[in-house]
This record gives sequence, C-alpha cells and structure tokens, in this order.
Amino acid sequence: MSFNGNIEEYKGVWVVAEVSEGRSTQTSEELMTPARQLAGELGQPVCAVILAGSGDDTSSAEAAFGRLGAEKIYTVKHDLLGQYQPQLYTKALGDLIQQQKPNVVLFGATSVARDYAPRVAIRTGGGLITNAGELKLENGILKAIKGVLAESLLADVSVANTRPQMALVRGRTYEKPSESGGSANVETVTPDLTPDLAKSKLLEVQQTDTGKKKLEDAEVIVSGGRGLQGPENFKLVEELASTLGAAVGASRAVVDAGWRPHAEQVGQTGKTVTPTVYFALGISGAIQHQVGMRTSRTIIAINRDAEAPIFKIADFGIVGDVFEVVPVLTQVLKEQNLASV
Amino acid sequence: MNIIVFVKQVPDNTKLRIDQISQLGGGGIPREGVDMMINPYDEYALETALRLKEAAGGESKVTVISLGSASAKDIVKKAIAAGADDAFLLSDPAFLDGDSTATAHALAAAAKSLVPDHQVLFFGQMSLDDAASQTGPKVAELLGHPSLTAAKGVELLNPASLKVMRETERGVEFHEMTLPGVVSVMKCDYELRTSNIKGVMKANKAQIPAKTPAEIGVDASKTGKTGSSTTVNGLSQRPPKEAGVTVDGSDPKAAVDQLIAFLKEQKVL
Repeated sequence: MSFNGNIEEYKGVWVVAEVSEGRSTQTSEELMTPARQLAGELGQPVCAVILAGSGDDTSSAEAAFGRLGAEKIYTVKHDLLGQYQPQLYTKALGDLIQQQKPNVVLFGATSVARDYAPRVAIRTGGGLITNAGELKLENGILKAIKGVLAESLLADVSVANTRPQMALVRGRTYEKPSESGGSANVETVTPDLTPDLAKSKLLEVQQTDTGKKKLEDAEVIVSGGRGLQGPENFKLVEELASTLGAAVGASRAVVDAGWRPHAEQVGQTGKTVTPTVYFALGISGAIQHQVGMRTSRTIIAINRDAEAPIFKIADFGIVGDVFEVVPVLTQVLKEQNLASV
Repeated sequence: MNIIVFVKQVPDNTKLRIDQISQLGGGGIPREGVDMMINPYDEYALETALRLKEAAGGESKVTVISLGSASAKDIVKKAIAAGADDAFLLSDPAFLDGDSTATAHALAAAAKSLVPDHQVLFFGQMSLDDAASQTGPKVAELLGHPSLTAAKGVELLNPASLKVMRETERGVEFHEMTLPGVVSVMKCDYELRTSNIKGVMKANKAQIPAKTPAEIGVDASKTGKTGSSTTVNGLSQRPPKEAGVTVDGSDPKAAVDQLIAFLKEQKVL
C-alpha cells in the first residue's frame, strides 16, 4: 500500500501495556522480551504506553516497565479512559502514534487490544499482524510467524511498506525478560477526548468467578470431553485441575451439549491455548479440538479408544478408562503433594 | 431496520487432505481443489442478524455481502436459504488477495453504496483461514461507526441503539451501542437454523449481482494486493511432532506411576 509519511522518521519500539487492578498484566510484561530484541537490532529505544483513567494509580506498572527495560513511558490519562471504549482508546493511542511516530507497536492479543488495535491501524495507516507468534526483523521489516487455516499451517507474514509496524502477540509466546532495567522516564499525556466521540458505552460486567483460573493464562489445563458421559462427571476434571492448580477446559462436543460454558471451550470457535501441560481427558481429539491446543508444550491424553486421534499428538497417552485412571492420578498427586512447577 | 452480514468462504479444514497441504507453495491461502465452506463464525453472525431482523420486525431486511471468488456464490445462496433477503458478491479480481485493510476498504464502500441506510453490520469474529479478526473494526473505523468484537448476542433497545453482550477475560460485558454500528460475533449459545424448502427455492431463483470497484465507488488500488498493509510471504507445514509414548491403562496405578515419572522427567512436576 502507499504510505503518506516519511518512513525514516518512525523510530522506537513500543509496548502497549495493560493494567489490571493497579498492576501491569503478565501478557504485557512478556512483550518486553521481543520489544528489547527488536529495539536492540534497530538501535532504537523501548517505550511503554499505558492508557488509564485520571484517578487510576499507574505507579506500580510504570515502575515494573522501568525494571523490565523501558526507557520511556507515556502514561495517557483521562477521565474518559477509565473504562475501555474502542473509539476513545483508538483516538488516544492513534493521536500519540501520529505525534511520536514509533516504528514498531506491540500489543498483547487480549480482548481489549484485539478490539481496538485494528481501528488504530486504519487511523494511523500502519500495518497490523494479528495472532502473531515469534517476531523478527528482516531489513528493518517486522515479520511474524502465525498459525492460519485453523492453526494447521504456519504463515510467514510481514508488514508492507508502511509505519507503524504493529502486532498483536499471543500470550505465552515469550517469557517475561529479566528485570535488568532501571527507572523509566515517565511522561504523562493528556489526550484530546470528548464524550461525544464514544458511540458505545459499558453498561454492566458480570465478572466470572475470580477464584477460577483463566484458560488464557494457565500453565496447566485439564480438559474434559464426551468420554466423561455426563456433566456431573466433570468433577473428575475439576478435582484433578484443582490438585494441579490448573484451569478447566472442555471440548466443543460437551459445550454444545450444554455440560460446560462456552468460555471453557478449547478449539475452533473456542479458545486457542498454549499451556506448558495440557491434559485431554475423554477427548477424542477431532481436528476442531486440536487446532486450539496443539501448540501446548506437553500433551497428556487419557482415552479408552486406542484409535482416538488425540494419541497422534499426545506426548504421553494412557489407553484406559477415565473413570478408573483419573481418580488414581488425582489421588497419587495429592499423596505425593505434587503440583505443577 | 437494514442489516448487513458479511460472509466469507474458507477451506473446510476438516476435509483438507495431507496431499493438498503438502502441495502448497507460498503466497496465500489455498483454494484450488479444496472443499470450501462458510466461515464457521459467519454462521453465528448470520443467525444473530436473522434473530435481530425478527425482533425488529416491520420492514427489516438482511443483506449478505461476500468478497471472494465466484464460488462464494454457494455460501451466499445458503444464507438466502436460511432467511437473508438480498445478496451481493464482490468477486472482481481487483478485490482478491487483499489483507484485512484492503478488504475493509472494499466492504466499507459496499456497505455505503449498496445499503446506504444500514443500521447494523455483522461480521464473524475471525475467519478460519487467515485468522486476522480485524475486518469488522476496520470497516467501522472507515465508516466512522462504533464497533464491538467478541459478541455473543445482541438485543434491540430502541430503534437507535443495540445492547451487545461480549465475552472477555474478565467475564461477560454488556454494552449499549448507538446505531449504525458494527458487531463481530463469536460462537453464540443459540442453535443455528437450517434452511427450509421455501428458502432453498428462493435461493435458487435469487439474482446475486457481482459488483466491480467502480460500481461500489472504491479506488481499486486501495483493495486487493495493492491495498494491503501486510504481506503473506509463504506458508509451511508445522514441524511434525515427535511420536509420543502410549501406555496401557488397564492397570491404572501402573499407568499413573509411568505418567508421573514422565511429567517429572519433563520437569513439569
């Protein structure tokens, strides 16, 4: 595409940080690893951007990003940024990008950033790679590997001849870097926002049980499928999950049957997860399920059917009855007081 | 109420054969000789649109627009059979091979010119093939409309505003959106309708005009490959996974002991 600016003017690698209850999120902090790598190669600075309400305390997040290596932090504060609203966030970040001209802007692939980053790309004329895995630079051009066709293939995607070069990076693609930085220079920015820009507003949030582990953040996931034979038997899955400190997932079949909520669905039309360990209990492993969990580091399958496709991608499989094997597994883990590292 | 649903034809990944995958070179998503289907999320977008049409009543109308090759006519016909009223195809070569920015320019122009008094534009949350999930918000930005993604359902509050339910990491959010607006739909809890004979007959008779860039008033250089802000350099298969260990679980205790030894060896316990 044709770009109306001067590409040479665009410098610096930005991380758009999300703050939750006063602290920067894990996904945002992980982004400092590729940001530092890319900035090092470019010989350009790393900056973080925080969008927050006027009264929000951002000091802990600012300090954290300083320690993680950000040289500069733009804290964009306004009464109208206290609650996420796509058009206001787009204007606040879009204006800052147009003023400061960063070369690279990284977002975590969260439900907030996925919602407004595409608008920012149109507003600024930049190129945005979504669902990005590992990032690299080739002749100064941002490239990423991403799963396409329901994760069955890998595409090598690059930003075209435009700036800024943006990516929405999947959580847990990178580990958060060591805290080798110092304190960043924090600049508070007051964006030019008016209430009439927002043509939608948040009415209400029904919070999910905060004690529950979230699938997206979980190191370990225990998922159940139709092999459990009924919703009441999901307690086997829940007990193993709680013993391991894991999150609970489910196959499409059991979500469609109404045994479990859609928020727990792993796979096509559900979530894509990349935990360290994924337990598939009574899940046959149809391609629609595999697309959501095949990138897990270690896959454990327990299923009665030796021919189930899940065994083709499992690192360790037990051909056996979930009703016999899972309670023993939970019991042994409890006795030996073993939880995931 | 005038509603538009944008649908995309994608390869049916459940039927894709290994030899079709292994023949792929670089440069885009495979289509030749591959079974195609409607993008699964778009089915929920269509269902949500048809439900909204029924709720709004009166002279409400659902228009389906698909950008893709001429074979996209198949999925558009299915949408008509399910209850959509009108359909357009954007199959001009100038529209094809674009990324979400290029596609958004074409779709925004189509919405503006083909259904000027549109009130709600529905998209699927993402497409199965390129998994960008950007097109809905980009069209909204180009049209100056509000947008919400990850929607699981909508409810008409009054003729000028829509309540949108979103599923996010923190729970379920309810938003009020001023119309016209753009909603990207993920999997919803309701069942998808199937077509009836009357619908199928209507679909068979339906005229599905194919529009050119000039006819919808978009500069052809802003669409397709030339209008793209990202480039796909090549596709490759995932590196094959090393074969795992499978043990017999007829003695649960022995199998569990082996599993725990394995997890310790992997340093995850």
